[in-house]
Amino acid sequence: MTSWEIFLQQLFNGLLVGSFYGLVAIGYSMVYGIIKLLNFAHADIYMCGAFSGLIILGFLNPYVGNEWLGIIIALLLSMVLVGLLGVVIQRVAYRPMLKAPRLSILITALAVSMILYNTVLLMTQGQYKPFTTGLTHESFYIGALRMTETRMVLLLAALVLMFLLHMFITRTMYGKAMRAIALDRDTCQLMGVNVYMIIAITFFVGSALAAAAGIMAGVYYGTVHFFMGFLIGLKAFTAAVIGGIGIIPGAMLGGLLLGLLEAFGTQIPFIGSSWRDVFTFVFLILFLIFKPNGLLGRIESERM
Amino acid sequence: MFKLKSSWILMLVLVLFAFSLFGCGGDSAGPVDETPDGEAEGEFEGQVLFGIMVPVTGSEAADGIDMENAGLLAVEEINAAGGVLGYEIVTTTGDDECDPSKATAAASKLISEEVVAVIGGYCSGATLPTLALYGDAGIPFVIAAANATSLIDENPGWAFMINSTGDAQAAKAVEWFESLDVDTIALVDDGSAFSVDLKDQSKMQWEAAGHSVVAEDRVETGTQDFSAVVTNIMAANPDAVYWTAYQGLGALLIRQLRQDGYEGVIMVGDGSSAPELLDLAQAEGEGVYCTAPPVVDFLPAAQNFISGYNDSYPREPGAYAGLMYDATYLLVDAIERAGSFDGEAIKDALAATDGFEGITGPVGFTPQNTLNRSNFVILVGEDGRWALAE
Repeated sequence: MTSWEIFLQQLFNGLLVGSFYGLVAIGYSMVYGIIKLLNFAHADIYMCGAFSGLIILGFLNPYVGNEWLGIIIALLLSMVLVGLLGVVIQRVAYRPMLKAPRLSILITALAVSMILYNTVLLMTQGQYKPFTTGLTHESFYIGALRMTETRMVLLLAALVLMFLLHMFITRTMYGKAMRAIALDRDTCQLMGVNVYMIIAITFFVGSALAAAAGIMAGVYYGTVHFFMGFLIGLKAFTAAVIGGIGIIPGAMLGGLLLGLLEAFGTQIPFIGSSWRDVFTFVFLILFLIFKPNGLLGRIESERM
Repeated sequence: MFKLKSSWILMLVLVLFAFSLFGCGGDSAGPVDETPDGEAEGEFEGQVLFGIMVPVTGSEAADGIDMENAGLLAVEEINAAGGVLGYEIVTTTGDDECDPSKATAAASKLISEEVVAVIGGYCSGATLPTLALYGDAGIPFVIAAANATSLIDENPGWAFMINSTGDAQAAKAVEWFESLDVDTIALVDDGSAFSVDLKDQSKMQWEAAGHSVVAEDRVETGTQDFSAVVTNIMAANPDAVYWTAYQGLGALLIRQLRQDGYEGVIMVGDGSSAPELLDLAQAEGEGVYCTAPPVVDFLPAAQNFISGYNDSYPREPGAYAGLMYDATYLLVDAIERAGSFDGEAIKDALAATDGFEGITGPVGFTPQNTLNRSNFVILVGEDGRWALAE
């Protein structure tokens, strides 16, 4: 491959992986924005999404001939199911803690993460599971860029989901309520906003997007396992910080940027692919030191 | 009102979701087998006691039980054919649990029961401390599976390894690449000691054979995205890629290489020789080669063994059962050549073994008591299953 081809390929790889990061990062950012919680269980929600998609697809496969149709149905169903799982977690584990000190709810989030992770570990006996879709990987070229149908559809789907979310946040009453609660929960309550319902909706949307990312990763990589959420969770968190945690367009931007940074960072001589994670988390630290509010964050004195 | 109702519905959904997840739990461990009674009637001159040392409990119990079964099956067959030197073979099992301290205790138990010889040895780490014990007691030990090179240095001369050591795998890989006219290769590991060792061995032997390694890379465990590694490999454009670690990540690497349009040879090491690799790699697993231990399924000479094993035990023989079966027959062969049950005589007969035909191939020993050939086989993925490539 020439360096131009490598550049294009890495650009696309970076965008695709970055869009996965972005979809997961949105969930971190939304939840942080509305209840100031770093939801550690979010990475496990992503993993649960992938498994639920796998199971639903397993049921659908005998009935649905067209591969993409099956994937889309599994995607939508899993988004709903896992979104509800997110709401249940919020109801059971987080809502009773909303008035408690911030550290308590953080520890609860860790506990939820452990529960989800270990449940799937036990159910799958720690085995890798094939995510069979029946899709072929026939490739074609766009200029010098080698492309498969799967990759193209996945990138488009991620961008469409991000766009729909943006519309939801900016153009609906619920989105407006979310933004209002992020600014001042108590006042919203006084104004008659059903705060708990809006928080539940936030968890639903965030978890559904993570589930979508999980299924897309399953389709793309072809393998799912209980541990798949761990690293992407950390990276999505990094993406959320880069974009400015609590700011939704920031999470999308941060995800895409982090994907590109990784793709090109590993091409720098002497860094290499085995240093990719070091590279990523060095960026996290740099951002936390020099731009703690992220790219799109405003400096606010009262964010406690 | 709304809150109460919704929380109940959500609980219900959670329960349903949990049930749906149970669907993928699936394959639990097979049933544990019983020891068959192979008691022959009276025509023997007496009994001779063999020790079997394998892990029959603990993390490696699956392979250990397969090996014990294979040893018992061989003993049963030998007794049915008249025993050894007219004596009936009886066995006693020492469970090493794949743990060095348990292995020492198991070895002491076998020695105190005055076994004539010991067969077994699965985990290298657990086998290692027992070598000196058997050596001091003057008991010959045929090691069926354990194959770390460290065993060679610690061997006081009483142990015989019938499985190839680690460097033999690299030798087999080099041999197969050369037969495919490969000149440049890329080596990929996952950072585990085992995979790095195989990678280093392969690199050394490949370069010694006059070829070049154009890329060496390492995947991160815990991630699914190997695009950086794949791009590096594509840029170096090697004739072949050799993956030296385990199947979970190996399948991801294979899929991403093929999806990115890599058309060269892909080979994986014995850590990826489980059938799961091909399940996970799906269509992209077709044509992938594997350097594997001599799995009986693919050995023409082992078909009788497999049917005999399936008749006696409700499970498939694992990767090392064939070697254990050979170890038992080899020991009996050596005793008959020695003409006595004296430890020293059996040891000398074992060392002098030449052209013993086991189901996993011919057995002979180097001066270090290791197998004098590579017993690795090359498998190839065909229709989602491993098949013998040679």
